[in-house]
Amino acid sequence: MKISQGMRALLAVAFFCSSASHAVETAPSFSFSDGSATVALKDLKDQVVYLDFWASWCGPCRKSMPWMNKMQEKYKDQGLVIIGVNVDSDRKAAEDFLKAVPANFKVVYDPEGKIAAQYKLMGMPNSFLIARDGTMQKRHVGFKEGLEDEYETEIRQLLKQ
Amino acid sequence: MQLKKKHKKKAIRGALTTASCTLLGLSNVAQAENAPWQFDAGVLYYSETDRVQAIEPVVTGKKDFGDDRWLNLKLVVDLLTGASPNGATPTNTPQTFTRPSGKGSYTIDANETPLDDTFRDTRVAVSGSWDQPLGDQLKGSFGANFSTEHDFLSLGASASLAYDMNKRNTTLSAGVSFESDTIKPEGGVPTPFASMVPAGSAQPRDASDDTRTLVDLLFGVTQVINRNMVMQVNYGISTSSGYHTDPYKILSVVDGSTGATTDYVYEHRPDSRNKQSLYWQMKYHLTEDIIDLSYRYLWDDWGVTSHTLDATYRWDLGGAKYLEPHVRYYQQSAADFYRVFLIDGAPLPAEASADYRLAEFTGITLGLKYGTQIKGHDTSVRLEYLSQTGDSSPSEAIGVLQDQDLYPDLKALMLQFRYTF
Amino acid sequence: MRSFMTAALLSCVALLTGCANLGVEPWERDLLAKPAMALNPDPIQSAYDDHIYFSKEASSGGRSFAGGGCGCN
Repeated sequence: MKISQGMRALLAVAFFCSSASHAVETAPSFSFSDGSATVALKDLKDQVVYLDFWASWCGPCRKSMPWMNKMQEKYKDQGLVIIGVNVDSDRKAAEDFLKAVPANFKVVYDPEGKIAAQYKLMGMPNSFLIARDGTMQKRHVGFKEGLEDEYETEIRQLLKQ
Repeated sequence: MQLKKKHKKKAIRGALTTASCTLLGLSNVAQAENAPWQFDAGVLYYSETDRVQAIEPVVTGKKDFGDDRWLNLKLVVDLLTGASPNGATPTNTPQTFTRPSGKGSYTIDANETPLDDTFRDTRVAVSGSWDQPLGDQLKGSFGANFSTEHDFLSLGASASLAYDMNKRNTTLSAGVSFESDTIKPEGGVPTPFASMVPAGSAQPRDASDDTRTLVDLLFGVTQVINRNMVMQVNYGISTSSGYHTDPYKILSVVDGSTGATTDYVYEHRPDSRNKQSLYWQMKYHLTEDIIDLSYRYLWDDWGVTSHTLDATYRWDLGGAKYLEPHVRYYQQSAADFYRVFLIDGAPLPAEASADYRLAEFTGITLGLKYGTQIKGHDTSVRLEYLSQTGDSSPSEAIGVLQDQDLYPDLKALMLQFRYTF
Repeated sequence: MRSFMTAALLSCVALLTGCANLGVEPWERDLLAKPAMALNPDPIQSAYDDHIYFSKEASSGGRSFAGGGCGCN
């Protein structure tokens, strides 16, 4: 009983932590407000979505923000939409963080972790690259500055489709 | 002159970064230069009533080389003055002792605990470590340290691994460290159990120095219990071999019926020591405050067993200010070879020491720490009071020794300042 | 006493590694991520204490500080 649980945990971790794509599924949809309108993720068809889960207490998240700003600026005309889902339970902490490290992309607040649970996060930060057809193509657990070029190549590949 | 100095400082920092990058085989030196060094400093004032005083400034620096790779450096300077018990018992007459150098002597009044006041030293210690991920769930840390004072030199190296499981709720850790010490006592290494000889005469010495090596292993499990609580359990095992004796400590040899002192002999400890320990720690986050509780049980082949209970309550005052009361309770049993004194004419044991640190005693520490931020930099001040009490009138006291305090209490005050910049 | 303590430790370890339902989701580590919740929040202070008690007692060591915290990267 103990061994199989441990093995399952190890396998799950190895599986989800790799940046290779695996079982291609449709990204779970959720709604968020965009100005006065309410938009659902599945309505963002024909755009490549980079969905990133972040929190004010997460160090690597602080490092990923400038890079995500750069990506949003560089590829927005080609159809890249970056959505940062914040999982802080304390809204003020998230707002203070954004004052220090501003985001030029859409920020969605998920204080109860409902969207995070839908996406079965395996660590923080956790990002998902969603292709134009709404399928989840890549998952990344953690943010490594040394892999920024690799992450960018993946975005470019999906934008070409 | 001022400009030259600033250039020099920047050049030194740059050189430090380049040197460390090259040594560690890293590319991306330019990127590394962007992350600033984070410095952390502290100074401790330690003062025992009538005994040792110490001032210990410390500065640490750490630098982020990106992707969770860190270089940590630390410098410690320890300035000691004051007097320390030499192991002899107080008695009803004044006593004269030869200094460790053999070139002088000092006299202690009747009914006073003999303290050797030649105990004056400066210690400098440097250490460094490199932390880096070795895999998605594996982190490693590798370190080296060096410490020197006029009669002691220590060199050490360590390595540890931490493996995360269960979405990083569980962490398994294992660490090993090696240490090699060289002891060069002032006046040389005394012959075990040799009688103390008056100053000026030829002193009973075996060699000018001796050595000792230590190997430590530590295994631990850290587990996140829930959103508010994390717990850790460690098992440690340590073995050391070589010179463990304190070259400056002696024992009183007393008459079996009157208890009067007849001689002083140099102490002698075993040439090996094996220790094991079990350590448990818990941290619990209340609404705003945090409780930190830990317990350590230690046992070794010298016959020492000890219990250490430590509790801290972090009272959050808002705005990065906090108040932290602290209590520590320590209890140890005596080492098998601990003797308050030796009896004239009785067969000598294989090992014997009258060092109070090997006796049975209880130590209680009470402390209070106040922390705040000054211009965004964490700073704190802590005041602690330590009291060690033992058996002042052990049953083995003979004759005149029955009127003496054979375990004088230790009382110390500690004032600590901390600043991060 | 010693064998009891070893048995207690082993059962703690077994309990901890066997209970995969202990712990929190990655997005619930806000409190654990606080610097004050680290197992060793003030390394310079711990080093001072370790040095003082090593000089005044017959015991030393036992602590290590991996794990806990934000669980990031």
